[in-house]
Amino acid sequence: MSAASQGPLEAWADYFDGETARVQRVLLTLAPDRLTIARPDGSRLDWMAEDLRALADQAEPGGLVLALAGDPVQRLVIADSHIAGLLRKNAPQLTRRPPVENKGRILGWGLGAVASVALIIFVLVPIMANQLAAYLPPGGEKALGDATFEQIRAAMGEDLMPVEACEAEPGRAALDTMLARLDVADDLPYPLTLTVLDHELVNAFALPGGRIVIFRGLIDEAKNPDEVAAVLAHEIGHVVNRDPTRDALRLAGSVGVLGLIFGDFAGGTVVLFLANQVINAKYSQAAETGADDYAHAVLTGADLPPAALGSFFERLRDEHGDAEGINAHFSTHPQMTARIEAALAAQARLGHETTPVLGDGDWAALRAICGTPAEPGAEAGDVDEPAEHPTSVRPADEAAPIDGGGRHAGD
Amino acid sequence: MFHPLRTDYAGRSGPMFRLALKTSLLTVLTLGFYRFWMKTRMRRYYWSAIRPGGHPLEFVGRPTEMLTGFLTAVVFLAFYIGIVNLLLMFVSFSLFEGQGQAYVVSLIGIMPLIFFAQYRARRYILARTRWRGIRFGLEPGVKGFVWRSALWWGLTGLTAGILYPAQVWALEKYRTDRTWYGDAKFEQGGTWRSLFGAMKHVYLGLGLVVFGSLAEAIFEDPIWLVAAAMGAAWTGLGWAYWKANRFKRLTEQKTVAGAGFRCHPRPGKLVGIYLLGSLIIGAILTALLVLSGIVIGVLAAMVDPAVVEAGVDDIADLAQLPAWLAVIVGVVGYFAVFLFWGVLREAFITLPVARHFAETTEIVNGEGLAAVRQRARDEFVEAEGFADALPLGDGI
Repeated sequence: MSAASQGPLEAWADYFDGETARVQRVLLTLAPDRLTIARPDGSRLDWMAEDLRALADQAEPGGLVLALAGDPVQRLVIADSHIAGLLRKNAPQLTRRPPVENKGRILGWGLGAVASVALIIFVLVPIMANQLAAYLPPGGEKALGDATFEQIRAAMGEDLMPVEACEAEPGRAALDTMLARLDVADDLPYPLTLTVLDHELVNAFALPGGRIVIFRGLIDEAKNPDEVAAVLAHEIGHVVNRDPTRDALRLAGSVGVLGLIFGDFAGGTVVLFLANQVINAKYSQAAETGADDYAHAVLTGADLPPAALGSFFERLRDEHGDAEGINAHFSTHPQMTARIEAALAAQARLGHETTPVLGDGDWAALRAICGTPAEPGAEAGDVDEPAEHPTSVRPADEAAPIDGGGRHAGD
Repeated sequence: MFHPLRTDYAGRSGPMFRLALKTSLLTVLTLGFYRFWMKTRMRRYYWSAIRPGGHPLEFVGRPTEMLTGFLTAVVFLAFYIGIVNLLLMFVSFSLFEGQGQAYVVSLIGIMPLIFFAQYRARRYILARTRWRGIRFGLEPGVKGFVWRSALWWGLTGLTAGILYPAQVWALEKYRTDRTWYGDAKFEQGGTWRSLFGAMKHVYLGLGLVVFGSLAEAIFEDPIWLVAAAMGAAWTGLGWAYWKANRFKRLTEQKTVAGAGFRCHPRPGKLVGIYLLGSLIIGAILTALLVLSGIVIGVLAAMVDPAVVEAGVDDIADLAQLPAWLAVIVGVVGYFAVFLFWGVLREAFITLPVARHFAETTEIVNGEGLAAVRQRARDEFVEAEGFADALPLGDGI
């Protein structure tokens, strides 16, 4: 100890014994292998160099707060930056962290948490959503769909204006003609609400309560009216199977649980969204196949080509297929080929040529439903002259399926 | 005469910025799982910065116990939140044909859990806080806290928020009277009326807003909207007054081991910190955006000089970028803004506010504190797991 009694190797510090809150002003003496603490009552403590531990992430920049390895309560608060610096150099395990305790317990609860979340998201919530969807009264489903519809319109709009719904009368009439030809009224739990939104997205979807939304982009992309009818039949399949209601209920259950796990760190919303997509993809693949099967049956029944569904998908795949990239993992994309083949198989069973669902005039009217005819050949005048189509043809007004195409083509 | 113990504050924005940046980055990179380490490390810093009588506080919580606590909470909460939310959604749409009711019912349903989490979190934090080597502690008593909170929040709601100060006092008293420093018990003095004075400017400001709006509706003269706008500004400043004064009144009426407190936080200083902090944050974020724009421009020029020659006259030029690049830039930008926002807020708002409250608080009659003896460690399996899992919205 004699070597340690030189001036610069001594300093005053505050010592807390961890038994009382008394502040003890102590004299520290630094030796190569130990730190000696002289307490006010005359007693001395020797803390061995390898047992010294510094508290991490302390605010005081020059000083040190020391603890003794294996002792949870004693503390030595050193403000003297000279001594603190020497200690930093000479105490070999100053920054060593205490060993992690209860590894088994962490693992146990971790597995428990994963199991519980998996059980809830993948089993309980889907089962309950499936069961409850059938019991939701039509009014409730409609409210659910309306709320979602307004949210989507607002989200896709620009400059705070929601996306416009396209209402051109001849186009609406053409859609009604198409619906009448599909003849699905008997399958539906509630009447359909069909809306065309003025947006270039090539897509269509069904919402709870029988609301079907088609984007203008899809009508622009379609080569013929049969393709639009095929997509419409597919979406009607979702409505008949009540898929959107299931999705909404499942979402209500699983989003909260996922939010729980990922917390509110920056960008948690993105992770939440992706995780939900992964979960959805699993269920939507089954739902898509179900809706496809329904569409094939309806199209066949209406004497329309089921292959139109396939040809539309095929074109989408050829045009956009590779660009989807990351999306592919989160969507039904991998099944696209199977869906096209299924449509072709249904076509083979039908086996003969069919009359298009709309005549040329109605098809032009449908393409102009948003007031922007996609083909140069289409006449803008069609939209501006409602007198040409004095009455709209609604499925409810006409009992029998109409050969709407011929009628309007004659105009 | 025993001298009052002043509180020193050793925290600085620079080190806090570095610590927050490092731990936030790790949190983002680990999809949020580093947040228990982040929280623990930030608390160690914040606690050690506060030095009543020159002796630093110490936070001794462990990240692993917070992780365990969080996992424990997930096991229970996942069931509650998943199943209950789904059922509420179903019932709400079946009976009311709307989702508003579902949110309200869901919120009411989760309130007891939030109160539960608040008390348990306070218990964990106190149990892991030490000063002069002695542990703090909070007695078990969560049941009483939950029903009292429910009752008081109900009353606050029924009185349109007028009783809020009484609620704050009553719930603080419940917790303070169960708080220990070693073997010495805290006590919260005052009455339920103690905090109303602290809220006076908020009441006045809101009153002016209501009065101005009503007058405008009756007389149809937009000049009254000026009164409403002044009321809104008054309310904002009044809120700073409430924060400073609430702290002063609550703290000065606390006693422990014969010691009391004296505080003199200044509302104007708080407003100044928020304004200056927002300015600094805004300036730094803007500078970062400009800088990253320049870096991207330089990089683009190195890849293809024609890009810079042509200039980005047209936003459509940006659309020519390959999709993957746009996605990467978008994702990185999104995370960067959130991350820097949070980090800068810690360094330039949270820390200066903590400094102000610390430096304006002193302990009086502290001679009895030296005799306080240690209390046993509160082993607390679930830590603050419930508070972690539920969105309580409190930083520290």
